[in-house]
Amino acid sequence: MSEAARAHELAALQEDLARAGYIAEAPLAAALLLMQDLGRPLLLEGDAGVGKTEVAKVLATIRGTRLIRLQCYEGLDAHAAMYEWNYQRQLLAIKLLEHDERGIAQKEQDIFSERYLLRRPLLEAISADTALVLLIDEIDRADEAFEAFLLELLSDFQLSIPELGTVHARSRPLVVITSNGTRELSDALRRRCLYQYIDYPDYEKEFAIVRRKAPEVASALARQIVAFVQAVRRMDLQKKPGIAETLDWTAALLRLGISTLEAGGAERIMETLSALIKTRDDRAAFPREVVARLAAAC
Amino acid sequence: MLTPSAALLESRVTQRLMGFTAFLRANGFTVGGGDAVEVLHTAERVGVLESQVLRWSLKALLCGRSDEWRRFDELFDAWFLPPNRWQSPVRRAAPDSGPGVRPAVADSRAPRGADSDALCARDVAASREVRSSADFRTLMQREHLLEIEALMRRFARRLRHIRLRRAERARKGRRLDLPATIRRSVTTGGTPLNLAWRNPRRVRPRLVLLVDVSRSMAPYSFFYLRLARALSAELTDLRSFIFHTHLTPVSEALREADPWRAQERLQVLAQGWAGGTRIGESLEQFNREHAARCVHSRTAVIIMSDGYDTGEPQRLSQALAVLRRRVRRLVWINPLCKRADYTPSPAGMQAALPHLDLLAPGADLASLEAVLPKLIESLR
Repeated sequence: MSEAARAHELAALQEDLARAGYIAEAPLAAALLLMQDLGRPLLLEGDAGVGKTEVAKVLATIRGTRLIRLQCYEGLDAHAAMYEWNYQRQLLAIKLLEHDERGIAQKEQDIFSERYLLRRPLLEAISADTALVLLIDEIDRADEAFEAFLLELLSDFQLSIPELGTVHARSRPLVVITSNGTRELSDALRRRCLYQYIDYPDYEKEFAIVRRKAPEVASALARQIVAFVQAVRRMDLQKKPGIAETLDWTAALLRLGISTLEAGGAERIMETLSALIKTRDDRAAFPREVVARLAAAC
Repeated sequence: MLTPSAALLESRVTQRLMGFTAFLRANGFTVGGGDAVEVLHTAERVGVLESQVLRWSLKALLCGRSDEWRRFDELFDAWFLPPNRWQSPVRRAAPDSGPGVRPAVADSRAPRGADSDALCARDVAASREVRSSADFRTLMQREHLLEIEALMRRFARRLRHIRLRRAERARKGRRLDLPATIRRSVTTGGTPLNLAWRNPRRVRPRLVLLVDVSRSMAPYSFFYLRLARALSAELTDLRSFIFHTHLTPVSEALREADPWRAQERLQVLAQGWAGGTRIGESLEQFNREHAARCVHSRTAVIIMSDGYDTGEPQRLSQALAVLRRRVRRLVWINPLCKRADYTPSPAGMQAALPHLDLLAPGADLASLEAVLPKLIESLR
């Protein structure tokens, strides 16, 4: 196995990701490569707003495949995630078939055929012909029972539907799982997955992101914006601004025609802070003087 | 295809790679035996000469949680980069796998920290260690310990029972579960005789325990930690923290199945406890670092402390006010409260009082038994 080839592959992937609009550090790119090699899901953890979901989206973009997203929530059950029978249509069919001459078994087969099957994200993902990207978002919101069910799916890549039989995966999707850490995930799930912890971006990375996502912003202003946001993140806040907030705020500044952050313009900056600061308590931590001081330091 | 020396080299590399998982396990990572094989697969794909690429790949493969993620690089260096030392399996098997502690990297480093003495020599009882590890030495009396454990566990079961009963699926509900009804109707030829109902699910309540382990609490903190341990065995999403001058999460250590191991891990966490108590700062730390993760709309936070605070009462009051807005119930259990002549005299306690939902006595099991069911009730 040639060593240089891997490093090349890594650099090429990073470039692809950057072209698709995602700045990825080398460790993340290495994990993405490995995920394809080993066919394992990738578990992403980190605070809200650091770009976990974006990884799956951009992965689908560079692979040129579809992204199927399963948003988890409290009380999500296997049916809502996997498949469901279209009961209303089945009911209708039963009524229509009442005077049909055929035998019970045949009728039943008719009613439980694929025509009446509603495909939910998981079934859709494994029955696709080409490998696509399956994003299981915020797995920590679903409960343990669902996690166990998911574990089974991820190890065998098959689903059993009692009335139809077992559906084997035609292709193995690339699975990306994200978690905000509101609940401890089971060790079994963690062990099945590759793991990546995504932190808030450092100065250089965030600058690169702002430049890429908002090319109309002057470089000097972009530097100031990033320095300001990084300083805000170092403060003791309930909800630290993520990358999305940075970009929102950038747009807000542009909209108001603010071209440079300075202590004198603190009032105007404060008008835009609602894009950056999202709770009342945090807002209280930004009186005019603080904003002026932060702006002056940029 | 391989020359003999190349084969030898390869077997060495293989051994070293496979030893890495055992090394991580000795340092408290949750990796299994099967992972060693995965490591080899990965190395085969990635190559071993490019050490950074190998590092990132193995990091993704072997880490499972954020604390492992943070400690991985150091361990990787210790194992793969020169100068490194082989640790004999015996040494590695020594009970030094407390997570979040200094890694059991090289032999020369461990003795410097106090943890290895405290761990390996539980019988030696190095006097300095015992003094600084507060009250845990009382855990040594085994029969006494088991007795309390059993009592607490019974108690915790009762608590959980309350929760289960409330989560029970009602036979009757407000909304018809159409899919399930039709599924059932298959047995009656399509006529829906047995109706299925669906009730809205509610967020399960959660308890967060903050146990004061400062010097003044010494006679009680032992008792409270046993409570926390017994509760965490029964309630899976209980979060426990200890604090004195700062706050440390102990849920993991308490969940250790073996009581002796749990005790050892707590001893490690307890290292360097000083006399002071800074409740306000500890709570601020909780608000800042942990609240977002472990507090949801049905969370009750229980603070177990005597309220003797060496920090500023102002800070405590503010921190509690912030916490109060986040949680469903804020309860303070004070062991001194039981005495008949008790008035909340410490400045800290007085600062805290306006923000509490409940200030309750908690010097013995009976008074706790009176408080906790009330609390669960309020979380419904």
